[in-house]
Amino acid sequence: MQKIYPIIAIIGLVISISSVFKKSPFFNFVGLQILIYGLLKSADYIMPALPAQVILMYMAMSVFSFIIYFSIQEETFKAFLEPMRSLFADDNKKFLRLIIAFIALPLFAGYLTYAKVKPTYDPPVSARIVHPEPPSQMDFKGKTMNVLGLENPLRKDTANFAKNVEEGKKIYYQNCFFCHGDDLDGKGHIADAFNPVPLPFRGTDTIAQLPESFVFWRVAKGWRGLPAGSGPWNSSMPSFEDFLTEEEVWQVIMFIYESTGNKPRSWE
Amino acid sequence: MADVSVKKGLTKGVIKLTVLLGISFLFLFVLGKLLPTPTEDGYRVFPLIGSRVWVWIIAQLHLNFAAFVLGVPIFAVSMEFLSWRRSDERLDRIAYDFTKLFTLAYTITAAVGTLLLISLPVLYPKFMDHMMKILGPTWWLYIVVMYVEVMVCYYYYYSWHKMKDNKGTHVAIGGLLNIMGVIMLLITSAWVGYMTTPAGVSETGELLSRWKAIKTHMWIPLSIHRLCANVVFGAGIAASYAAYRFIVAETDEDRAYYDWMGYTSAMISIGFSLILPGVGYLLGVEIYSFNEQMGIQLMGGFFAWLWVMQAILIGAILMFVNYYLWISLNKMPGGERYFKYVKYLFVTMLLGYAVWLTPHSVALSLDEARKMGTYHPVLGNLGVMAAKNTAVVITYLATFLSFAIFKMSNKEAVVSWAKLGNALRGLIVIGSTVIVLILGVYSYMVSSAVRVKILSPIQFGVFFLAIVALFILDAKMFKGAKILGEPRWGKMPERSQYALIGITVTFTWLMGMMGYMRSGGRQYWHVYGIMQDTSPDAFLPTHGFASVVTSILTVIFFALMGLLFYGIMKLEKKGGQGGAKA
Ligand code: HEC
Repeated sequence: MQKIYPIIAIIGLVISISSVFKKSPFFNFVGLQILIYGLLKSADYIMPALPAQVILMYMAMSVFSFIIYFSIQEETFKAFLEPMRSLFADDNKKFLRLIIAFIALPLFAGYLTYAKVKPTYDPPVSARIVHPEPPSQMDFKGKTMNVLGLENPLRKDTANFAKNVEEGKKIYYQNCFFCHGDDLDGKGHIADAFNPVPLPFRGTDTIAQLPESFVFWRVAKGWRGLPAGSGPWNSSMPSFEDFLTEEEVWQVIMFIYESTGNKPRSWE
Repeated sequence: MADVSVKKGLTKGVIKLTVLLGISFLFLFVLGKLLPTPTEDGYRVFPLIGSRVWVWIIAQLHLNFAAFVLGVPIFAVSMEFLSWRRSDERLDRIAYDFTKLFTLAYTITAAVGTLLLISLPVLYPKFMDHMMKILGPTWWLYIVVMYVEVMVCYYYYYSWHKMKDNKGTHVAIGGLLNIMGVIMLLITSAWVGYMTTPAGVSETGELLSRWKAIKTHMWIPLSIHRLCANVVFGAGIAASYAAYRFIVAETDEDRAYYDWMGYTSAMISIGFSLILPGVGYLLGVEIYSFNEQMGIQLMGGFFAWLWVMQAILIGAILMFVNYYLWISLNKMPGGERYFKYVKYLFVTMLLGYAVWLTPHSVALSLDEARKMGTYHPVLGNLGVMAAKNTAVVITYLATFLSFAIFKMSNKEAVVSWAKLGNALRGLIVIGSTVIVLILGVYSYMVSSAVRVKILSPIQFGVFFLAIVALFILDAKMFKGAKILGEPRWGKMPERSQYALIGITVTFTWLMGMMGYMRSGGRQYWHVYGIMQDTSPDAFLPTHGFASVVTSILTVIFFALMGLLFYGIMKLEKKGGQGGAKA
């Protein structure tokens, strides 16, 4: 299926180029939209496919912006509207008009309806909040802790830094790597079984955006601590306060930062 | 000229205000007796739509009008000042037209304010008691200032033609009007500031220090943010007024004038909007330092999706602005020479827009999540602040260039170093773009603190430096330049005017949504952490619901604005140019 998108893009390009020669901005516009759509859809040749939501946003932006572009100069805009005007007004276009009104539009409406009601077995698209607000306080094995402003006590112990990271590594491979991956890329052995998928720790999107206090809360409380907007009923992230000590949680956190080269976020 | 005498105008203003206040107190008294006593925890329920939606709509409408009547005087008076210094008739006319707009809008503002004044104590008696207990005196001060403000405003308006030969004093009165406006704004922001980031009270809500309760974390940044946004918004409304008048104008002369008025207002609006991100950032910092949890919730948690929407809308606004400037080339003699650059500006804008609206987290189907993980490896990089800041600065720069091109399109430099000047301009533009891009890429590699506190300010600094440099360069280069012809004001296609209206409608809607967000930051509290909201509406509405409410109130707002415009035009028909009868 995806093989046709590059072809669509090429068709768009051809339409666009030939209409430049024919001086028809309208078809140039149509061609450009097809080209852009085709290109966005063929992105999966070089990277994971773009999500439908993003393609929709880009296309809306592109339609809006190019209409603007083609209406800047008076003559261009007139020429842009010409095909639509002639379709509605010209006598010799009567036949085309009929085809569009009685065949093309109904077919299109029918297709939209079909696409809408066609049964699918996919779970609904989820607009999950990945990094929700943590509570200001939490209870860790009966000890009340302020989440906000919580600091990693082991960071001060610079002498034992390497040892703590080493301990963290052990904890990681005993507790986390099935899900979060051997390479900390979120692709653990059983990662595919879950939705939402376990998050990677590499890259700039996850722990690089977070202060250590937030990560501590996530590891300690897991799915149970999530507010409703993040769908705690879906997450498989365990609550490690049941399995690890406070110190061990800090150690594993140091390990995931250290081995991915990320730095915890700080406000100073 | 059918000028109403100043005295009559003043009396009318005072009577109007007193009647409205009187009505509201009467209503409060009567309703308080008639309605069933509030529920145990201190609420009455508004029929059908519920108290929250009712107060929401009324408060936002009131805020929109207030923003308008406080924002417009700032540049109306500045224009009058300029017209006085340069003895420029046209500037005087535009200043007067602005003044007409906000003076006549006072009545609607006060009427909507009256509704709010009745609704709050009736529907939320316990909460209002608390507010009175903590901030009571500010409320009396508010009424006093309101009276003074209305009097100054009416005086300013009705004495316009009388004091023609005494412009200095008249401008000074305008200055006083603005001072009053700022005080009103400070007072109202103090209320909201107290509700969101309270201080000066004990945990049970007993007053400890009134001054601390006024001087909360949010107070000053919110006031500055509102002040700037008011100008942006007020000028935007003035631009759509001009656009509307342009579209319905019957003579070429009117068309020319309103075209120019629309252009001037739009440029004021955009000029001030350049500082909004910075001021908004200050506000964010204060919220974080008050309560990190609230900060995270507003910036990245529940409200994260609103920022995506904000990005889409601001991108659209900037597109509209550029569009308007590009279309304006049509009316410049010699403008056609510059159409060839529009292509490049357009592509820059488009790319900037694309980066700017790429969301960090995306709504994913299971299948998509399986294939790419929660974050797209490439798009994820465009979704973070480093990319956004860069994109914004570059689109701003492009917008400024569109403006600069418009300004110089009817001139031809005659200075001997014109070639060199052009090369220099190219160098500044390309150089600053490259620097901004390099800084943007570099900001991926540093910690967030360095990015936020050092690199982003440098990026914005480079931008401001570049526009200042371009400004000076153009001023020098086009000094005594050959003018190919005056701009043909009024020779604008109508669609450009719809762009102006589009900008304002978008902005109004955005303002509504951001208000929902600021209010939502309090979650289930009337006064955050001090007084809990125990009404049936104490939950956060969904974004979908909020956007429906915001859409409805935007429509109501523009319907009322339409009424105002219509009223002004009718008055003018009746009384000629200066026909001032409110
Ligand atoms: C059963 C699989 C599983 C195991 C085992 C697991 N996690 Fe997770 N983890 C997840 C999933 C799924 C998510 C994403 C959903 C969510 O946010 O709750 C997640 C999210 C996280 C996050 C949040 C990252 C962010 O950007 O918000 C952190 C931190 C984390 N895990 C750390 C750990 C650590 C440390 C361990 C081992 C001590 C561990 N996890 C073990 C499944 C797992």
